[in-house]
This record gives sequence, structure tokens and C-alpha cells, in this order.
Amino acid sequence: MAFSRGICGFFLTGLLFIGQLVFADGPNETLVERERRRVQTIARIAPSVVCVMPPGGQGGGSGVLVSADGYAISNYHVTSGCGNFMKCGLNDGKLYDAVIVGVDPTGDIALIKLLGREDFPFCTPGDSDQVQSGDEVLALGNPFLLASDFTPTVTYGIVSGIHRYQYPAGTFLEYTDCIQIDASINPGNSGGPLFDIDGRWIGINGRASFEKRGRINSGAAYAISVRQILLFIDHLKSGRIVDHGRTDFTVGTAADGLVAVQEVSEISEAWRRGLRPGDELVSFGSRALTSANDFKTILGIFPAGIRVPLTFRNPEGAHKTTVRLLPLHGFDAAPQLPEERKPKKRPGGPEPDGQPDSPHQAEAPVIPEQYTHLFKEKKSFTNYYFNQLHRDRLLNPLRHSLAETESNKTATWSISWKLSDDRVTGDLIVGTEGAGLRTEKNNSYQPVNDQQPSNESADLWGVLSAALQWHRLFQSDPDLFSEVVYIGTELLAPSGRPVETVFIQDGAVESRWYFNDESPLPVGVDVTMSAGHDEARIRFDGWQNNVVPSPARIGVVDPETEQLRWLTVEAFDVKPRATNDNAGNQESAVP
Amino acid sequence: MNTRVIVKVVVCALLLRCGRADAIVASVPDAEYLAVRAGQQVVVKLFGAGVGTLDSYGSGVLISKEGHVLTVWNHLVNTGFLTAVVPDGRRFRVNVVGTNLEHDVAVLKLETDDDETFDFVDWKATADVLPGESVLAFSNMFHVATGNEPVSVVHGVVACTVSLDAGLGRWIFPVKNPVYVLDAITNNSGAAGGLLTSSAGVPIGMLGREIRHRDTDMWVNYAVPLKGLQPVIAAILDGRRYSSNTSTQDQKSVLSDRQLTAGFGITLLPSIVETTPAYIDRIVTDSVADVAGLRRGDLVLMVGDDVVRSTSDLRERLSGFRRGRPIAVTVNRNEKLETISLRAP
Repeated sequence: MAFSRGICGFFLTGLLFIGQLVFADGPNETLVERERRRVQTIARIAPSVVCVMPPGGQGGGSGVLVSADGYAISNYHVTSGCGNFMKCGLNDGKLYDAVIVGVDPTGDIALIKLLGREDFPFCTPGDSDQVQSGDEVLALGNPFLLASDFTPTVTYGIVSGIHRYQYPAGTFLEYTDCIQIDASINPGNSGGPLFDIDGRWIGINGRASFEKRGRINSGAAYAISVRQILLFIDHLKSGRIVDHGRTDFTVGTAADGLVAVQEVSEISEAWRRGLRPGDELVSFGSRALTSANDFKTILGIFPAGIRVPLTFRNPEGAHKTTVRLLPLHGFDAAPQLPEERKPKKRPGGPEPDGQPDSPHQAEAPVIPEQYTHLFKEKKSFTNYYFNQLHRDRLLNPLRHSLAETESNKTATWSISWKLSDDRVTGDLIVGTEGAGLRTEKNNSYQPVNDQQPSNESADLWGVLSAALQWHRLFQSDPDLFSEVVYIGTELLAPSGRPVETVFIQDGAVESRWYFNDESPLPVGVDVTMSAGHDEARIRFDGWQNNVVPSPARIGVVDPETEQLRWLTVEAFDVKPRATNDNAGNQESAVP
Repeated sequence: MNTRVIVKVVVCALLLRCGRADAIVASVPDAEYLAVRAGQQVVVKLFGAGVGTLDSYGSGVLISKEGHVLTVWNHLVNTGFLTAVVPDGRRFRVNVVGTNLEHDVAVLKLETDDDETFDFVDWKATADVLPGESVLAFSNMFHVATGNEPVSVVHGVVACTVSLDAGLGRWIFPVKNPVYVLDAITNNSGAAGGLLTSSAGVPIGMLGREIRHRDTDMWVNYAVPLKGLQPVIAAILDGRRYSSNTSTQDQKSVLSDRQLTAGFGITLLPSIVETTPAYIDRIVTDSVADVAGLRRGDLVLMVGDDVVRSTSDLRERLSGFRRGRPIAVTVNRNEKLETISLRAP
């Protein structure tokens, strides 16, 4: 902290003055050195700070650039008042056009894209989990819209508390696991970045405790942690209205201070993994829990749909597993802000300077013609343009690599495999009507028109349903599925490697396809046949050019153990489908 | 534990002052965090009853191993049924050990099992700070932390040391000794009773209430110096009543609730707000008030010719009568005014 370091520096300066000691940098540097370093840091980070305004220029807030191509983070309660296109000022004094990309209404985060440059200055994220009470921080932003040249205002403070939870304001704006600071935060700072004293971006300032002293700095403001933002940012790039996650079990703090599971839905994944009321929840999302508040705090940083690790303890011992988070709100449209966040127009007068958080009623804002195509409206999306952009980026190369197999679209695949570790062999046959699995012990068959979890092989659970989806993806134009949505980047369980996810709805079957940039072909798929049953979780490795692209290995994730078992593909045969066999076949309708 | 930590930090600071910086330098950054951790380890969150704009939560500082807690003598203490949450999340019922009006201080005691101990601040090992020195303020402001989460820490500088002419509404800040005025917004909702330390972690004061300056109407952020509280805390812990020499001269004397009950036999409604009307809640049998004919439910309107607007008004008006002097008390009883003559006890 500057004050105590300042005091030390003061004493040390005195010592230096009497010429007895010489200190290097670090905690021993003098006040003058510290100030010089601070000035340099601010000069380095200020160019990434954005002044976010509605096209009409009244009101506004702050933001921060996170990439050279212009992506910037702000608060939902700032951008929701700005419209789909907005104006952004940087400290070079220039005004840029920007378009809304994605929003997270619950977490009060919005992703916008500044336009017109590919070399925007941007900030470097730090590790907000390492932040401690007492750390020095710098808040940059646009309080009271003071700077007409968009030079950000800098306020200094310390971290007052970490892992803070702020109850939802109104219905949905909820700040969990946030950083409490005493740096001065005022209207207009909203959406602006919080930096540590070395200039690493650690949060977005969005909220403060306001009470009897009015809506101005009260010494207690809250920043959304960068950890949470980084978990959402690649989902926000999808142009969706990104939802937060919930679990289908509840916890409370037991009398002995442990975090005890209270209720568990009996059709939930957690129940199937053995979680029962009374069990102790030891950790969630890789963080140890000491109270039910801890659980609420950590749960709030995750987007819906991702897998989160947890550890629970019952009389048999400790168990580790993962659960996929369910959607918290399921927004169809960007929700309305609570009343207190809405603009308070003063009758008979202009908007006061100090109401930059206020959404603004822009009258027919002028959008430059070259940018109008960058926004597309669609239900449950913030900006469908960006979803199409990323979906096509992933699926067009896939289509391209499958183009040569056009004539084999409806062919039946016959895959001979060997389970390398225990020398079990078998065959997997997939066609337009169903998929069959033959092992030395069992045969099982999953028909396309009547998919049942009970048809799956107990040895390799889910392989048949997953293989059917795989066959459908490779034979169909992806646009023919009822829904194809780009989700964003996430960490694939159990390997933990980053992948990009495309969600496909095919009748009642939902699948999540995973891609990385090594190949246009997928690295895996998780298939949900119906609620109440475990997902089929299949991984692919070593795609080869065959008549249709075929993997060298097929991985099956065991839902109980989270272990990945690899089937080595010994032979992959493609048999063109007999031309007279088309009765009652839904694929025959596919052009 | 914390006293140890604080002592260590103090020693560090003293060594530094002595110029032996070479021995200390490596521990300086740690010391800063130790100061923060230490402060967070001794501040408790108080929860009780609030009314209107008065909060139902506050702060206190552990000042003994056995669980004595120093806090501001405010409505939370007056209304009773207080709960304290200590830094590790344990909850305790709280009893009031003693209070002192002229220092605006109360000492509480956690209801504990015999063998339970707590980290605490050594209130005897305090120091003076000068204007310009950096300080840390620890409190349960805005009840951001409710369980085992550490309380909030705010940094600031002592702006000056002055006697405050301040208050809130009709309530007048009773402390006449100089207080530390701070440049940071430390005195928020629920912060009263929090801890002020030097940046090195030496305990130096108790955070005060949310009050405004009489002349400027500005909110004042202040802390009562711990040094001035030492004799008060010592007296309360000893079960003695403390009164300073200065208080009789320039301060309006006011009867405490306890004096009012012990002397006159009158117990008033709890003074929840500054303007709580002076309703008599209880009359001690055979007391001065009982003999004179005062009854439960009487609303005291006047003492002599002076209008009584509140319980604190009454406690002020009833002070300063010599023993045996007659006092005319006008009360509203069943929508009728009655004047009753008391003998000062």
C-alpha cells in the first residue's frame, strides 16, 4: 500500500539523505521512484481505456479494450442505454464507432467492438484470484464525463475486500466474487477497468454502495473480477445473450460450519454421480468452500452450459466429479434494467452532467453505412451477426473438407476398433437408419427414429447416439438442423484443453461439437439424448483422409470416472447406401 | 495471533524509526499485509435492531482474549439483543458491560464458553498519530461481509486532530476531546465501532458514527483516539464509573438511563431515535417517582418550565437538581395533563 510504503519510503529517503544506505527498486524504492513508476504505468495503460457514449453523445460510461481488433468490455447497464451502435472515445482524442457484440445481463458485462482500426491499444489481464485486501489499485474511467478529450480519470485506492457478494439489484444484476475497493468510483466510472499497481487489468468497476450521501463515491465500490470476465468473454463474442449457470442441487452451512448439500434433484447429473442431501461439498469450481456464501459467490462467476469440477464427501470418502451448469434465467431478449438504473429525466431541464450511467433516448442515431451490416437482430441473441460469423468460421472449413465425400453422404460406415488397454475388439456400424455396436460379449442397436438411452451399450455408454450425430453432421448441411449456434470457447473436460463449441439441436437430441484450430474436423462431441440421462461424451483423434474423413482413435468418456478410454480404429469402411433403400427415411429429404 | 502480529509490526516500525532499516527492509511488504490481516482479525460484525435510517448492523473491536468488544454507544447497544459475528464466522450473543456517554463508547462481552479465546487488539499498546500520517480503517460498512468474510479495509490520512462540533438531527455529538478527522470515507453505514490503525498496524482509534458538522452540514469521517479511551475502558472493565475532570465544566450533564432508574425509579422507552418521546416504561416500586404518583405510560412533557421533547431531553432536565429540591413534572396521562411534584433524590 502506498501509504505504508510511502511512510517507509519517507524514512528511507531520510536515510538516503544522510548518505548511509542505497536501496534498489522494489518495496525499498523511494517515494519519488514510486511516483515515477506509477506515472509510467498510467501512461502505459490509459490508451486502452474507452469512453462509451450513445450516438447522441449524452450520458455514457467507460470500458476497456481487450484486443487489437477492437473488442472492449463495459457494463451491461452502460451499453444497454447506448443502443446497438455507439461512439467510443480513446485517449488519443479520437472518436470511434462501435457495435454491440454480446451481453451478460446477470453479470452486468457487455462486449462491444470498436471499428475502424486493427491496431487498437489493449490491456493485459492479471490474475484476479491473486488479489489481496490491501493491494494498491488504480481505477480508470470517465466519471462525470469530465474529459472532453477522452483522457481517462485515474483514481487510486486499495482493495478493501475480496470474494464479495452483492445481491441482485432489482431482478438480475448480481455481482458475485467481486473485488471491493476504496478508490473513488462515481457515475461514469461504470464499465471502466480496475488495474493493479503494476498496470495489470484485474476488474471492471460497476457498482458501489450508495446510501444517504447520494449516488457518489462512498468509499465502497465493487469491481467484477477479471477471472469471471475471462470465463465469459469468448461466450460474449458469440453475439448471444449469455446466461449464468445454476446447479440442480442446493447447499447450506451446517451447524458444524461445513457446507452441506440440502436438496438434490433426482434426475440430475449430480444425483447420478452419487451426491445426496447431507453430503459435504468440499470444493466447487476448483475453490475450497468454507460457507454456503462461498458457494453462491463462486457459482456466480460461471456461464451456463460449461462443466464445473466439484468435490464432495460422504461416509465412503471424498469424490471428484464434474457437472454441467444449467441456465439461470434463459433470457429470450435482453432484460430491462431495474428502475433505479433507468434514466431519471429531470423535467424541464437538460440531462445533468453527472448522470452518465443513464441510458439515453437517442433519436434515430446516425450509423455509418459501412457498418450497418454488423448488426443482426434475432430472438435470444444480442447481435446475431457475430454468431453467424463464428459459426461459419468453424463450419465452412468442415463443409469444405467434407465436400469431396458428397457422393457418400448416405453411406454406411463400418468401423472395426480395438480397445488398446484390454485387447477388447468390436465393430461400430453407423448408417442413416441407425447405429450398431458389436463386441465380443454384446450387441446393441440404436435406431434413428426411436432413440432410447436404454439401447446404449453399457460398456461404451453413449457411443451409438454420438455416432449417429457424427454421421448426421457429416452427411447433412449443418443449416438443416433445427438450431446451430456458436457458443464460444471453453475448456474441454476431462483434458482441459481450450475448444470452440457449436451447439446443434436435432429433434430432441442436443449435441455440443468441439473444435480447435488444428483441424477443421471436430475434436469431440457431447450428446444429450434426454434429460435424466448422462451425456454421451465422445472424443476424436488423428483425423485421416479416407473416403470420408476418419479418426485414428475414438475416445469415450466414462461418466462415472471421467476417464477417457480410447478405441483404436483398425479399419474404417464406407459402403454406399443401396439406392432402393429409402422408404420412410428422413435423410432422403435432405438435398 | 494478532497482538503478536501487531507487536511484531510495531517492533518493525520502531526499528525502522531507529534507523536500522537494513534489518527491516525485507519484511516491509509483508508488514503491510500483516497490518491488514491483523486488523481484519480483531473486528467483529454486530447485528441488532435498526429503525428508519438507523442501521441494524455495526462494528466492534475485540479488546480481550475473553471476548470483550469495544464499540460506539449507539442505538444498537441501547436496544439490546445484539449478536456478534467474529472473524472466523462464529456467532455469539452479546451483553453490555458498560457505557460512557461523554466518550460515546460501550464495552460489550461475547457470551462464550469458559475456554473460548479470541484474537484481540491490545488497547493499552496504542500510539498517537499526527496529521498527515497514513491510517487503515477496518469496519463492517454496508454489511458487505456477514459471515466469515474479512471486514472491509479502507486507507486514508489523518487530516487533523480537533474537537468536533457535530451531530445528526437534534442529536449532539457528546465527545469533547479531540478526535482524528480522516480524509477517507470511513464512517459509512455500519462502520461505527470499527478499528483505526496506523499503516503499520498499531491500533490508534475507534471509528465513529455517521454525523454531520454543525456549521458546514458536511458528513464528517472521524475516529475517537484509543489513547483517550484507555481510562474509560479500564474503568468499565473494572466495573467503575468513569468521569473525566473536564466534563463537569463545559459539558451539559445528562443522567444516564441507569442513574435515572437508580435515582428516580424511572425507566424510559429505549432511546432508539434521537426524538424518542419520553414515555415512562416502568416505575420502580417505592421509588421517588412511585411515591410522587408517576405511572407507567405517562408521557413526560415538561420539567418545570422546560419542554421535554425526547428521552434525552428528560435525562438532561432531571440532572442538576440538588437532593430534596422539588421538581414539577407535567405529564400526559389518558389525554389529560397532570403536574406532579417530585423530590430530587
